[in-house]
Amino acid sequence: MITRQLTFSALIFLFMYTLQESLINQVRLPGGGFSIFIIFALVWSAMSTPEVGAVAGFGAGFLVDLSPSSSGPVGQWTLIMILTCFGIAFLGFGDDKSRGNPITILFLVVAGVFLSEVAFLITGALLGVNLGSISQIVIILIGMSIWTLLITPFTLPIFSRFHAFTFDTGSRI
Amino acid sequence: MRYGGGNRSRLLLIILIVSSLFLITLDLRGVQVLDGLRSGSQTVLSPFQKAGNTVASPFKNFSSDITHLGRTRNQLEQLRAENFNLRTKLINRKNADAQLKQFKSMLDLAGTGDYKILSTKVISQGSTQSFSQTLTIDAGSNSGIRRNMTVICDSGLAGVVKEVYPNSALILLASDPSFRIGVRIAGTQQIGILSGQGSRKAVLQLIDNQTTLQVGDVLLARGSQQNRPFVPGVPVGSVVSVDNSAGAIAQSASVKFYTNFSALGVVAVVVGAPKTDPRDALVPVKPRPRPVPTITILVTPSPSPSATK
Repeated sequence: MITRQLTFSALIFLFMYTLQESLINQVRLPGGGFSIFIIFALVWSAMSTPEVGAVAGFGAGFLVDLSPSSSGPVGQWTLIMILTCFGIAFLGFGDDKSRGNPITILFLVVAGVFLSEVAFLITGALLGVNLGSISQIVIILIGMSIWTLLITPFTLPIFSRFHAFTFDTGSRI
Repeated sequence: MRYGGGNRSRLLLIILIVSSLFLITLDLRGVQVLDGLRSGSQTVLSPFQKAGNTVASPFKNFSSDITHLGRTRNQLEQLRAENFNLRTKLINRKNADAQLKQFKSMLDLAGTGDYKILSTKVISQGSTQSFSQTLTIDAGSNSGIRRNMTVICDSGLAGVVKEVYPNSALILLASDPSFRIGVRIAGTQQIGILSGQGSRKAVLQLIDNQTTLQVGDVLLARGSQQNRPFVPGVPVGSVVSVDNSAGAIAQSASVKFYTNFSALGVVAVVVGAPKTDPRDALVPVKPRPRPVPTITILVTPSPSPSATK
């Protein structure tokens, strides 16, 4: 059972990663655009247990770190995504009202994207990564949050079906 | 019921966090395995990026397409299929024309500077989630590209080759916050250091504090030892404002790059440097102001004015 869940999860994560790197990154959107892969990882965690959230965060963060366009050291996104995904899963776990509510998940995902970017900035500054002008950072932070707010409602039903299929749960959003 | 947590989940979380810290430490210490992983991931992704570039090319000018769609909604309803094909062809044609124009200007630039270049196509733009400015091109070490080679486009400097893979290469754009280049001012030959700021604007710091900068001054690449990472003479940008604060140690200025980094479709990697420094030969020609014609209308009154009743 666990092998099946792991295999399906890995395949879906790799598919989303390839989609992000090969297609979504091609289109330059105002305000920095969005990362469908990070949105997916956060939605996945919001619907999972904290343990699964942490492991999903580890896998997702490691894949982001492997992206050639990633500027920080390998492990930086891994650390951020472990904490963000675990945090999101922890907040929603055990409370079926929040986990089944798309508005709550949307709020968690937007907050997760914003906080993970802020965490990247802080850890990047500590590790000596050049991050650019303040105005550009603010534009990207606000832009990514708005894009996430716009994109997540459309992707939530699809991601929820992927999750339900992988974990054999009947509940979908 | 809230999640109370357990020893097992805490242990798992700690193991994962320690693993990520371990990865950061390894990377900062320059362990080659991790570089190999990134290189391997790019090699795997490269064919997907090429395919994605083909699929996404009609949608790259997203904003303008949306505007035009609104205007021609009625026609689209009547001739949807035919119009879609025509629009796709037109966008592809426009894309090809723009790339051809960029290629032509790039060849002119390379010819004047006597650079030996390798023209390449941009197959992917780096994600902005890490606040970095990069792009991937469709040629790599198999085509003779090496690390730290200068990358130019039709209007001047685009960036530098950061990583090379067999069939693709990662370009660090000049707008990236970590980008630094030694420049000189055309004419006065004063030197300074230009730093990317994450946008089309950059900050110039002059080395000599006695020099005076002026708005409109043109900056050219100073060139590096053995011409890597930068060949000399490439146009970089022009000064748009000068910081004249009295307490500053070195004079600084805001510079606008000639290159529009969001519209790069084709770029060229300088694989062979010029034998002699082209000096100011590549300074862009300022557009000549066109005189506005004065329209004079001569009216001759008729000898017998018409009477009105």
